Amino acid sequence: MIAFIVRRLLLLPLVALGVTALIFALLQFLTPAMRASLYITDPKQLNALPDIIRKYHLDQPVYVQYGDWLRQVLHGDLGWSETAREPVADAIRGFFPATLELAMYAFLCILALGIWLGTASAVNKDKLIDHLSRVTSISGASLPTFVWALLLLMVFYGHFGWFPPGRLSLDADLYVRSGKFHVYTGLMTVDALLNGQGWIFWDAVRHLVLPVATLTYYLVAVLVRITRSSMLETLRADYVRTAQAKGLPRRIVVDRHARRNALIPVITLASLLFIGLLSGVVITESVFNYPGIGRWGVGASQQLDIPAVTGFALIFAGLLVLGNLCADVLYAVVDPRIRLQ
Amino acid sequence: MKQRVLACTVVLVLAVLTLGTGARGAGAPVKNPDTFVTLRFGDPESLDPAYAYDTASAEIIYPNVYETLITFDGSVLSRYVPLLATQVPSLQNGLVSKDGLTYTFPIRKGVKFHDGSTMTPEDVRYSMLRFMLQDRDGGPSWLLLTPLTGKDSTRAGDGKFQVTYQDVAKAVTVQGDNVVFHLAHPYGAFLSIIAGFSFVMPKAWAASHGDWDGSPTTWQRYNNPKLQDRYAFDHMDGTGPFKLQTWDRQAKQVILVRNDNYWRKPARLARVVIRTVQEFGTRRLQLQQGDADLIDVNRPEQSQVQGMAGVTIHDDLPQLVLQALHFNFKIDATGNPDVGSGKLDGNGIPPDFFSDVHVRRAFAYAFDYGTFIRDAYRGKAVQPNGPIIQGLLGYDPSAPRYTFDRNKAIAEFKEAWGGKVWDTGFKFTLTYNTGNTVRQIGAQILKDVVESLNPKFKLDIRNMQWSQFLQTTNAHKGTLYALGWAVDYPDPDDFAQPFLASNGDYPKRNSYHNAEADRLVREGATTVDPAKRAAIYKQLTRIAYQDVPQLYVAQPVGFVVMRSWVHGWYYNPVFGGANYYPLYKE
Repeated sequence: MIAFIVRRLLLLPLVALGVTALIFALLQFLTPAMRASLYITDPKQLNALPDIIRKYHLDQPVYVQYGDWLRQVLHGDLGWSETAREPVADAIRGFFPATLELAMYAFLCILALGIWLGTASAVNKDKLIDHLSRVTSISGASLPTFVWALLLLMVFYGHFGWFPPGRLSLDADLYVRSGKFHVYTGLMTVDALLNGQGWIFWDAVRHLVLPVATLTYYLVAVLVRITRSSMLETLRADYVRTAQAKGLPRRIVVDRHARRNALIPVITLASLLFIGLLSGVVITESVFNYPGIGRWGVGASQQLDIPAVTGFALIFAGLLVLGNLCADVLYAVVDPRIRLQ
Repeated sequence: MKQRVLACTVVLVLAVLTLGTGARGAGAPVKNPDTFVTLRFGDPESLDPAYAYDTASAEIIYPNVYETLITFDGSVLSRYVPLLATQVPSLQNGLVSKDGLTYTFPIRKGVKFHDGSTMTPEDVRYSMLRFMLQDRDGGPSWLLLTPLTGKDSTRAGDGKFQVTYQDVAKAVTVQGDNVVFHLAHPYGAFLSIIAGFSFVMPKAWAASHGDWDGSPTTWQRYNNPKLQDRYAFDHMDGTGPFKLQTWDRQAKQVILVRNDNYWRKPARLARVVIRTVQEFGTRRLQLQQGDADLIDVNRPEQSQVQGMAGVTIHDDLPQLVLQALHFNFKIDATGNPDVGSGKLDGNGIPPDFFSDVHVRRAFAYAFDYGTFIRDAYRGKAVQPNGPIIQGLLGYDPSAPRYTFDRNKAIAEFKEAWGGKVWDTGFKFTLTYNTGNTVRQIGAQILKDVVESLNPKFKLDIRNMQWSQFLQTTNAHKGTLYALGWAVDYPDPDDFAQPFLASNGDYPKRNSYHNAEADRLVREGATTVDPAKRAAIYKQLTRIAYQDVPQLYVAQPVGFVVMRSWVHGWYYNPVFGGANYYPLYKE
């Protein structure tokens, strides 16, 4: 098991290198002057683009440029973002915790709901819950995220006033900025608890409900479908029939024997879900005015803020690589055959 | 059984959806009674009063944090009341000299800055000198430079200094407790400029944070700064009723808190939050829920707030605003994605594409003004015939204006660049600011018409965050872009200079130059006789028609949308946004 994880970890730098090479290759479609903005860390340098082109060899062969750029990236210099009006690395540091918090809760909800609904659907095949889950899956997958997001916002904020957009209500926001609140992680729910401010925790949760619901509804569909078909297949397997024939209660057969094996394709899918989650975050944050990296990324790409978009791509690619690594490790934990291979 | 459960669930959901409502209608309790929340679609560019020259920045700066010597009497632009001065100069009180060249302002005593220091006449003088000498490209410095030095910029066209320290030092002097302004020529609108642009900050505070220290020998180092060069870019120290608490550029939010040591009675509001929310739907819902007190609404979105319970629309507000599309005569193509290939090869435009008057006229004929005014303003606008709009001295209703004419547009395109434009086509990107649906509609109308004239014509549209849009166009990177002008002071010079003088805001951004226009703008500013001035501005309107440096597409009337529980609000077209001092929620 450890050897397997070490092997995967050793591959990580190679994958990361591949990702940076791909992003850099895409950058080559831009003119040297546009690429020069990647090397700017201070707005005063904006007037010195020709010097930067020379300094960073942007008119040199691609491999020379790639080396220079990679060195910059490894030093944490991702350029200057015109949209955030600060270095890209600082902007990412500022925006990322909000997105991480949103993605984390959404991911947990998707996993919990998807697996539960998929299992229930398979166990109760062709019954009401199965029909409901299939209708939910199809509508969730076919309804554009922004439509669903706006719908939720109109009903649960515009009509009921329950779940407001943004990250915090006015009072909570003012308290957080008052100097009495210590930021430990940047995750508002966690920091609120660490500060002993339950009311800020609940306020943050209220603001997370709709974006999390949007992402969950958008992405849970695939997980439900896969879990359902995987469970149906497993439930038909000989060993499950044997377990049932032994007289084991159905709940134990389903929970302990069938689901564990049925989860193998689900774990593979989880990394793909993570990709979907990251793209979903972009739209969700914009609609809910949620100050995360997704909202910033949308603005940056609309405004051709190349350093920001590149930084955005790098961070998302990095997360994806990590997501894949987690999936591989979990895969090995769930299925001993993989470890043995 | 199952059907019954399903039916009950459906009934329950419908009941909850129809009965329960959280929307705050009329008579609902006031939410956050001591905090005012404004939602805008544009973000401030700078908080430095000598740099900022846009409405989003102006709302924070004046009259909420920084104050001027005198101000307007409520909504009336022709009457003034003292603010940091104790009297409004006039011929009657002897504070304006008989020749109209000297204005004396007795400075109020005991006024404290937000840092606790006491305002002195020397602070006032320093602030005026800093305002003039900082003089960034496309900034507001010309407003004081013109009447006080006779020149509208510290730099000549070749970039060399044409104003000395002595020029401005002798124009603003301290005499005891008074600050005296010595004009280069009589200027009828001078008090109006002082009412809008004589912001005062403490000299010691500025100098201690790396800003100019008032020295005659160092000012040139502080001239024409870049956006974030100065401490005052994101720090404020005024005398106004509110202090800056934070400007969080990531959260896109400015928080102002009440100045409890204000020299007048402190404001009733404890706090003002000005937040950028680009999605109109979100802004609208927050207004509906009472989480916002005042929001930006574009005219095409007005129907979505009309009739909303607990919301008031102040409509048909007279304003001196001009919406225009600007041609950049010399585009900086370096790293500029909006010019395509940068050549006239069908996939781009060369940097001087718009320097050919036939190109500009073609676009002028290709714009469907009637449809734009109908769709973007619901008919609540008129088509101007130049930068001198209705309501200003010298407005000429008989002056010619461009009308939508496809055939004339085609004829002009065929003449442009010796026929090459028509033969090879072009491709470029027109820009406007994010959230401005009026400009978006205008851009779309132009795109549709232009692309229908010739399949080789390609016009893309792109929106940009307000602050970045201003920076981009100021860096000469705009191609054809949609940007308006709101009055600084109600005088034709405030429109002639920014639109037609070489050193004006737009000609500077767009490298437009017409020596005759420069001469007339100067003459208009220095002439006292109203009849003569009117004749000069009529001449300038004709030049604008011939040269077409911009397309003048609409002069709209304004409207403001806010919760009905807001009281004390009044409209003043010179303010970038609201004056929060008299506001309260009840």
